[in-house]
Amino acid sequence: MASITLDNVGKVYPGGTRAIGDVSLDIADGEFIVLVGPSGCGKSTLLRMVAGLESITEGEVRIGDRVVNEIEPADRDIAMVFQNYALYPHMSVRQNLEYGLKNRRTPKAEINRRVEEAAGILQLAPYLDRKPRALSGGQRQRVAMGRAIVREPAAFLFDEPLSNLDAKLRVAMRLEIKELQRRLSTTSLYVTHDQLEAMTLADRLVVLNMGKVEQIGTPLDVYRKPASAFVAGFIGSPAMNLVPARAVPRLPGSAHAGLLGFRPEDLVIEPDGPIAMKITAVEELGAQRLVHGEVGGEPMTVTMSPQAELSDMVHMSLPAQALHRFDEKSGRRLD
Amino acid sequence: MKRTIFSNQLLPWLLLAPQLAITFIFFLWPAAQAIRQSFLREDAFGINTSFVGLANFEALWNSSQYLNSLKVTAIFAVSVTVLSMGAALLLAIAVDRMMKSTRPYTTLLVWPYAVAPAVAGILWWFIFNPTIGVLPYVMDRFGYDWNHVSNPGQAMTLVVIASAWKQISYNFLFFVAGLQAIPASMREAAAIDGAGPVRRFFDITLPLLSPTTFFLLVVNIVYSMFETFAVIDATTEGGPAQATNIMVYKVYFDGFVGQNIGSSAAQSVVLMLIVIALTVIQFRYVEKRVEY
Ligand SMILES: Nc1ncnc2c1ncn2[C@@H]1O[C@H](COP(=O)(O)OP(=O)(O)OP(=O)(O)O)[C@@H](O)[C@H]1O
Ligand SMILES: [Mg+2]
Repeated sequence: MASITLDNVGKVYPGGTRAIGDVSLDIADGEFIVLVGPSGCGKSTLLRMVAGLESITEGEVRIGDRVVNEIEPADRDIAMVFQNYALYPHMSVRQNLEYGLKNRRTPKAEINRRVEEAAGILQLAPYLDRKPRALSGGQRQRVAMGRAIVREPAAFLFDEPLSNLDAKLRVAMRLEIKELQRRLSTTSLYVTHDQLEAMTLADRLVVLNMGKVEQIGTPLDVYRKPASAFVAGFIGSPAMNLVPARAVPRLPGSAHAGLLGFRPEDLVIEPDGPIAMKITAVEELGAQRLVHGEVGGEPMTVTMSPQAELSDMVHMSLPAQALHRFDEKSGRRLD
Repeated sequence: MKRTIFSNQLLPWLLLAPQLAITFIFFLWPAAQAIRQSFLREDAFGINTSFVGLANFEALWNSSQYLNSLKVTAIFAVSVTVLSMGAALLLAIAVDRMMKSTRPYTTLLVWPYAVAPAVAGILWWFIFNPTIGVLPYVMDRFGYDWNHVSNPGQAMTLVVIASAWKQISYNFLFFVAGLQAIPASMREAAAIDGAGPVRRFFDITLPLLSPTTFFLLVVNIVYSMFETFAVIDATTEGGPAQATNIMVYKVYFDGFVGQNIGSSAAQSVVLMLIVIALTVIQFRYVEKRVEY
């Protein structure tokens, strides 16, 4: 168990690509932090810097109260779950679980105890003597988790561990990971590009964009009060509508020059509402219906009940408290 | 995969004919001839031939020269294989580590493979030549007397290095490809699991490389036993005192130079059996043993 601290951390790859610029983050002991952002924003890079698989160009990473910048991955007391699981294909499940402990000269009895315990928690007991290739995707995922658990490390690092599973299994494993982390209360840093996964797992979210932190906060804080237009558009599904104020002149905030943001589910259908949208496409999701259209030349989306009648146009209004305002240039939130 | 259906029964055979003809003329026919002649004996003038059963094989078994050749071949094949694969693996690991700058390095290492073995042999002959070579001169300077024309150990060293050298780049390419096929995350996971570089190599890299290693093992043994003819011919001609007279060279020497067709044929039949055995082992084990 330990806290993790990033102090003005930066990363420039050999060749000059800047992947991370000036990230600071305090992760409390036992906290579940999710790094989320679009592909290529530097999530994996940041995680791998904490793991010790990538050198740290600038700043300082501390695990507990130890600066680990120059410390080997093996000595950082962390365990990592990889996207492709990185199981050793020539070793049985048991050997996979034991490997990290054997290298650390853990006594045989202790190794057995931990392996049995992890196998029990993850329901791997029947598969201990199989090779990874004889396991299903979900079982392999569990072995990867097991390999992290048996080490009883100060922190877990996850790099998109669920992205190779089908949608249903992903939801199930998501719950299991959350449950497991609560039970072990081990500090965790989890990378994903799936905002739903991020919302459900995180104690706190870190939204990254182009190597910079856009916002840090609890999932609900980030959802309710996105710190920038980028976060607003990234967190929440369907994505928030972001339109220049001049496109919707009859909205309450439109006097202000800038970007207006409002979630599709916050729009209220009203026959003489101030927003008139020309419908261009409809997506049926079963429980609700996503209606896409155009207002003043800007694309917009609204969720409607599947029973509602549809014509070419839909009129809507927006409660004042559902409106977010952002600076047009910097994209920062204006309050 | 797309399946082509021929309506004409003859066409497929016609299309295959050139390949079949080549296989027949250059492989099956000579092989059959060798098997036939291994049971015959010609008199000294090549006029009368008689059927002698297994006498040619028995003679081989009782010939100390042939048994010596077996021993020489074994030493030679093992040395060439170990040297060429070991050197190639070391280079491949070095390259795998700094994969960024791979391109120029790999191309540099490919060219010796393109050089015909004879040229490689002659090159080495020149380098090592006791009278005009560079190396003996240098070694003489350091007080070492190099003469592979009279020293059996040095002659063996010469042909081993010359043969292995040509094979290194071929092995190297396969090893690099094999190493590249191992996901980086596997080694990273092992690093986090507390395995140092040496441990990682023996616990992770080497086992995952084993299909490549086994394939190369067979290829290199076959190479050193059969394709090194030109190297031997260009440098030592089997000498001194039979020290480098490997089996293929002895087949040639006894048959063409010594004109002992029956014995030479029997020797090539033995070689054929060895190739068949190696091939069977390769097919059997490549799928069974060396998997993970
Ligand atoms: N070894 C490397 N050398 C140079 N640039 C790299 C290297 N690895 C990553 N990058 C660059 O750094 C940036 C961040 O990459 P990173 O892998 O951290 O993204 P990511 O957020 O994990 O994306 P994804 O969701 O697709 O995995 C990208 O622009 C990428 O091209
Ligand atoms: Mg990534």
